[in-house]
Amino acid sequence: MNYMPGTASLIQDIDKKHLVLLRDGRTLIGYLRSIDQFANLVLHQTVERIHVGKKYGDIPRGIFVVRGENVVLLGEIDLEKESDTPLQQVSIEEILEEQRLEQQAKQESEKLKVQALKERGLSVPRADTLDEY
Amino acid sequence: QSLEDCPLDEDEDAFQALGEEDEDIDQFNDDTFGAGAVDDDWQEAHERLAELEDKPVASREQDGPGGEEADLLGESEDTLAERLTRLVIDSELEDPAIMQAVQTRVPAQQPGGLNSSIWDSSAVLRRIRGPLLTQEMPSVSVLDYALPQRPPQAREEERDPSERALPRRSSSPVIGSPPVRAVPIGTPPKQAAVPNFNQQILCPKPVHIRATMQQRYPAPYGERMSPNQLCNVPNSSLLGHPFPHSVSPVLTHLQRAQLLGGAQVKPSLAGRMSPSQFARVSGLVGSPLPSVNPKLLQGRVGQMMSPASGFRAFFGAPPAPPPSQPQHPPGPGSHLQSLRPQPQMFRPDTTHLHPQHRRLLHQRQQQNRNQHRSLNGSVGDRGGHRSSHQEQIRKDPYANLMLQREKDWVSKIQMMQLQSTDPYLDDYYYQNYFQKLEKLSAAEEVQGDGPKKERTKLITPQVAKLEHTYKPVQFEGSLGKLTVSSVNNPRKMIDAVVTSRSEDDETKEKQVRDKRRQTLVTIEKTYSLLLDVEDYERRYLLSLEGERPALMDERKQKICDMYDNLRGKAPGQERPSDDHFMQIMCIRKGKRLVARILPFLSPEQAADVLMATARNLPFLIKKDAQDEVLPCLLRPFSHVLYHLPLGTVTSLVQQLTNLPQSATAPAPTNLHLTAVLQNKFGLSLLYLVLSRGEELQSSDANTELMQDNQW
Repeated sequence: MNYMPGTASLIQDIDKKHLVLLRDGRTLIGYLRSIDQFANLVLHQTVERIHVGKKYGDIPRGIFVVRGENVVLLGEIDLEKESDTPLQQVSIEEILEEQRLEQQAKQESEKLKVQALKERGLSVPRADTLDEY
Repeated sequence: QSLEDCPLDEDEDAFQALGEEDEDIDQFNDDTFGAGAVDDDWQEAHERLAELEDKPVASREQDGPGGEEADLLGESEDTLAERLTRLVIDSELEDPAIMQAVQTRVPAQQPGGLNSSIWDSSAVLRRIRGPLLTQEMPSVSVLDYALPQRPPQAREEERDPSERALPRRSSSPVIGSPPVRAVPIGTPPKQAAVPNFNQQILCPKPVHIRATMQQRYPAPYGERMSPNQLCNVPNSSLLGHPFPHSVSPVLTHLQRAQLLGGAQVKPSLAGRMSPSQFARVSGLVGSPLPSVNPKLLQGRVGQMMSPASGFRAFFGAPPAPPPSQPQHPPGPGSHLQSLRPQPQMFRPDTTHLHPQHRRLLHQRQQQNRNQHRSLNGSVGDRGGHRSSHQEQIRKDPYANLMLQREKDWVSKIQMMQLQSTDPYLDDYYYQNYFQKLEKLSAAEEVQGDGPKKERTKLITPQVAKLEHTYKPVQFEGSLGKLTVSSVNNPRKMIDAVVTSRSEDDETKEKQVRDKRRQTLVTIEKTYSLLLDVEDYERRYLLSLEGERPALMDERKQKICDMYDNLRGKAPGQERPSDDHFMQIMCIRKGKRLVARILPFLSPEQAADVLMATARNLPFLIKKDAQDEVLPCLLRPFSHVLYHLPLGTVTSLVQQLTNLPQSATAPAPTNLHLTAVLQNKFGLSLLYLVLSRGEELQSSDANTELMQDNQW
């Protein structure tokens, strides 16, 4: 049954594996089980995938219910092509460590930047309320 | 009277009851999840039951409320009375307070004779007992009575998710009124009958429960309480009161959920209804205990997400929720035995199970069964496509968690959002895009003789345009009108007065700014006219014959207006300055506007525009340096050129090159021309003009000599 041809409707995507990017920067991969009119998603057998450089790690998360407004984008994963990636999978601990290091480096560079700007009399607005992505 | 004494009595009962529950839980676990779970044909069981019930109930079928009832009830009453006495004796879980309360209340309000009052109280008792005696259900009778309800109700609910709310609500539950049996309990569900059936059976239930509650809790049930209030009241009183303790703790949660559901009644949009909510909620009908609350919710116009989700969440939590009691086998009849697996097999009945378990079960069922289950819509659909789905299911046991019905529901909402009275107004780009596509494909079809490509187009629902005149809210008896401001009825909040400034005060910059602003306004106005004019073609096609001349006139008028706008309202015949036009042309939007207008203008007018442009081309080129929009004018200009006579063309060339009319003075540094030549647009325009001139000259043999010379 062809649901709403020519539109972006998630009904055809149900029961398929999806990659969902959230506003806080997380990447979730799971089977899309249910949706509603707000594009709230129910993801099944969800895995949170953390990417650092060329490596990635999967954290199994179970069932996710995502509020629609927090989704940046989502797309279907082609199961055949899924393994066809140049990225290297590592263990959870390792990837978390890598992530921590990356965050550290980022923070330091951010600090330097803010310092430099301050010296020049400029200020960057606090990014607290801004989305990560 | 004895209400206050009850708490003490019930404590012991409560603890005992709890102890017994624990034992039962293991049994129930086994029955639902383990070896005890038996596949069975619920249809046969149901039919058997139906026959059983038919006999005593058939006689009741014809009864109306009143005297007759007593006689008819007398028959069945015996069996029921038997069962009930058994119930009373067997069970230790009883809450004397409830029973007493009900008994006192019910007979008091029942105008009928003794028989009927007994009937009522027994019915009431049975109702209450049902929910209260969760795992405690030793007696068959209640189950016997309660179970047949399940299939008909469940089936009905499946079929009729969206219409459920109304029947529940519309019947005003009268405390103590006998459940009128218009339809015998065991009959298979008919579309019309069953809702009545349900409301009769079930509405009394909540009422009776409520009756007892009301006596305890200060807040009247019917009142809307704030969720907080409600949370506090029932929670504290429920927990503080032994009454709930005498029942399984499960009931507490359910009651809370029910009260919460009741408290949160709001008129909500139809779109907020969840079919799944109904399915789950209604599916709970099967078992006595949960059936109370879902029906309550439904009675409360159950259009709330939260209670249902609370429900579902709740039912996710406890491992083997109550309604496994069918399996509890205190000497059940054979029919009961066969009924035991029933709740698990039939989808709505299994909602009391853990959702995951239910799904898995159902998938397994589908796989195991070989015959089509001719059920109603959604389940039937799934069954029908089983062969293709089985593959899916085998690989993905969690598939189709979202029912077809639910998908349709979401899709329906999304379509509703696309409803529009005037798609060309609301969704212009989409409509145009698809029109273009269709034209393309049609053109392709004509050229190539290929098979017609079916491009599935979304057919949006077309709603007739309804004129709603908004009348602001009025209350009877109030003096004057309410000044309530809303979206439809905006109210003037600020008095913003436009003060025109005097000329003296202004500085040069301000004047310039104002002038620019005025030009911008002119452009905007002209744009609106342009859009209207462009739209006329479509309107023309849509309109009736008689209206068409009028439309044409309108269109012409608008075109004239546009032109006037462009050139500035000429005070006199002579258009002394191109100033106005130049102003417009300096603005990027103005240039595009001109480009779009040109096709609509008459040749003279168009030529005029061209001339003006050519005359001032260097100036324009300089101004256009940043925008680089001039080239957009090329195409319309070329079109115009095509229709111009030679004379105009020559003068155009003159303008372009700014050659002096009298070729007396040798053109010194002809800045004009150089500027023109250096600019791409200028160059192309010049080229166009020249080539056109050449054409004309060469083609038309009758060109006058003078013109020729000029050329």
